[in-house]
Amino acid sequence: MRGIVLVSLMAAILGLPANAAELRAKVSNEQGAVENAVIYATLLGSPPAPGIVEAIIDQVDKLYTPFVSALRVGTTVKFPNRDNIKHHLYSVSKAKSFERPLYTGQKAAPVLFDKPGEVTLGCNIHDWMIAHILVLNTPYAKVTGKNGQAVISDLPAGTYAVRVWHPGMKGKKKAAKSPRTVNLAAATVDIDFKIRLRPKSRWWRDKPWDADRNYADDERNSAGN
Amino acid sequence: MFRFHSFRTRLTVFFVGLLLVVQGAAFVIVDLANSHYARQQINTELEVDARVFDRLLAGRRAELIQAARLLSGDFGFKTAYASGDQGTLLSALQNHRDRIKAGVMILLSLDEEVVASTLEPRAGAAAMDFSAIIEAADDSDEGEAALVMMLNGRPHLIVMVPLLAPLPVAWIGIGFELDGQFVRGLKELTLAHVSLLRRVDEAWRIEASTLREPDLLASALARVTRPGHSFVLEIAGQDSVTLMQPLDAEGVLQAVLQRPLAVALAPYQRLRLALLLLTAVAFTASLFGASAIARSVTRPVQQLVAATRRVQKGDYGGAVEADRVDEIGELATAFNHMTQGLAERDQVRDMLGKVVDPAVAEELLSKDLKLGGEEREVTILFTDIRGFTALSERQRPSDLLNLLNRYLTCMTDVIEAEGGVIDKYIGDAIMALFGAPLAHGDDAERAIRAALAMGHELARLNQELTALGLPEIATGIGINTGLVVAGNMGSAHRLNYSVIGDGVNLASRIEGLTRFYGVPLIVSESTAAAAPEFIYRELDRVRVKGKQEPVRIFEPLEAGSLGDGELDRYHEALAHYRNRDWPQADEILAGLVEEVPASRLYALYRQRCADFLVTPPPDDWDATEVHSEK
Repeated sequence: MRGIVLVSLMAAILGLPANAAELRAKVSNEQGAVENAVIYATLLGSPPAPGIVEAIIDQVDKLYTPFVSALRVGTTVKFPNRDNIKHHLYSVSKAKSFERPLYTGQKAAPVLFDKPGEVTLGCNIHDWMIAHILVLNTPYAKVTGKNGQAVISDLPAGTYAVRVWHPGMKGKKKAAKSPRTVNLAAATVDIDFKIRLRPKSRWWRDKPWDADRNYADDERNSAGN
Repeated sequence: MFRFHSFRTRLTVFFVGLLLVVQGAAFVIVDLANSHYARQQINTELEVDARVFDRLLAGRRAELIQAARLLSGDFGFKTAYASGDQGTLLSALQNHRDRIKAGVMILLSLDEEVVASTLEPRAGAAAMDFSAIIEAADDSDEGEAALVMMLNGRPHLIVMVPLLAPLPVAWIGIGFELDGQFVRGLKELTLAHVSLLRRVDEAWRIEASTLREPDLLASALARVTRPGHSFVLEIAGQDSVTLMQPLDAEGVLQAVLQRPLAVALAPYQRLRLALLLLTAVAFTASLFGASAIARSVTRPVQQLVAATRRVQKGDYGGAVEADRVDEIGELATAFNHMTQGLAERDQVRDMLGKVVDPAVAEELLSKDLKLGGEEREVTILFTDIRGFTALSERQRPSDLLNLLNRYLTCMTDVIEAEGGVIDKYIGDAIMALFGAPLAHGDDAERAIRAALAMGHELARLNQELTALGLPEIATGIGINTGLVVAGNMGSAHRLNYSVIGDGVNLASRIEGLTRFYGVPLIVSESTAAAAPEFIYRELDRVRVKGKQEPVRIFEPLEAGSLGDGELDRYHEALAHYRNRDWPQADEILAGLVEEVPASRLYALYRQRCADFLVTPPPDDWDATEVHSEK
């Protein structure tokens, strides 16, 4: 009840239709809640008006963060490097192929994701640095948290095709072709997705144990002793 | 010469047989053990070979995977892939292939479609199917796989590694052909023959082999219904220990490692040859050795046998060699001592036979020489030469001795011919025994026969003497049979075998009466009673010196020595005489004297009759004549 009140409140503030609905999705597999899954809802019949959106994918401690991003087509993404070393950002994905060779800080030009599809980001000098971007034709998308839940708010009433996506999901094509159709009114709808994941090694690389270690510092330290 | 029962043959056969049995057993055992160890050794070697093969393949696999990973991480290749330019991709693959010296490089899409390939499709080869290896890669944690599989009609080691950008966007496949060069390289490393086989419809197809005639392997394997992991395979008459190592999960491709059994057995063959040679040498050596040892025993034994035969024949001459220090030498020494002893004893016996009668010598040698005797019935014969004193006066002593020896030799021969024993020679007299030391049962008879023969012999001797102008010899013989003591008498150190007793004296006395009665031979009544088959003329009834009992004395007669009825008439006369019918006796005697005027006996009785007619004897006259002188 409180949630609905909150949503209604937010809708009122943002000047959205008062009958906005909320989709609460939960993604799990045999092991339990699945983090980093993308839930996205596409309003059937009326394609959404394109909008200029900006997003940021950071490079911190030699990792991309967030690991999974769900972006609307037309989003410009900045890739600031917050590490004190350089990174070499690249993607060879069909949806967006680009390269930002060895840079630090804010020197990389933002990238416009103008086509829907999966984009996998890599770092040419750090194999474990991976980020997944799902570029979508809908603004209604969220990435699940550790509890495997994602809440999409402010959904105008209508009929939606709701889909799940995960970088390591099995049967991605099938999942894309067979969405759940949900009729949303001014209410909260819960939806559960059961998915199966490929081995983690297919979509995840562990950082080497000494990736954050600065051997030069160690040497100085030991010399100081 | 070759007799199985000879000691030499038996010894030789035994030792050589023993040697052969032992060597044979050793040979068989060593041979079995060798074959076993050779098999074991070759199996171990093949296991090592198989591990080398595995390691080599694993090494190759690791190399290819590393090479694929390098390509997978190559940013240029990633961008080339992203560009989707097939020509560029193929060129990049070729470049990388040459860089790592791989055989084949293939790029597959995630949908297993061939994006680019350096492989030139071979005619008739099956379409490339990577589903199995990609499935294996998908199932693995690393997302990589390596398999031995057929590619383009040839067996290949293929690795499949994802192209990461940074997640898998395609498959990079690198292939290495398992060809003749590969198996030859393996053979250089392991020394085993390596063949790669593929099963096609229950038959084996040779894909690569180091064998000279690999088809023979295929046909040989076709005969093996269920090949195990390791087994012995005969190919063209040669046994090879064979190890089959599957190269894929289904066992369609197999690596066959082979080592010829003969090679592993070769050192053992040399050992076997050495063993055979050793056996031959030992056989020869033992043959000669045993033969020599046997000969060293048998030769002296044969010498001893020969020497024993000589000794048996009385030849004590040759001593056997006794220069050895072993038992044989001891035997030879003992034999020589024995021969010496025998020779000495024979010498003693010979001399004894000459000194004493051979029978006595025998008796002396057969028993312990000790004083003492036994009472037994013996017939004693005494003889001496009448008038020897007168004879000796007329002859030179040496001539006399010759004459005497000749006489004594003749008489001795006659006595011994009848089994008599010369007791002693007493000057010209001979004392002989019949019945001692050995009794014949007819000793009295033998004595009388000897006495009669002595008479004939003496006549013959006298003829010879006469022819030589020598004086004739006259003898008297007295014989008595009686119990005497026979035995060794004398002192403990020097003794004679002889007899003593009344019987001896009586014989001597009787001999002394021959001259008185004018007969050559007188026997006592006991002798006559012991030899009843002779014809006797009873001479008298006498009482001799030193003997109270009267003894009747007889003269044994030879057939035809008396006239017809002479003996009966004489005995009749003797009966009358003893009946004191002297006239009657005298009448018969007178007739006898007329017939035989030379008879001293008849004359003697006529004289007695005449005397008794004048002076009759007392009433207790027992017709016994007393001879008081010797």
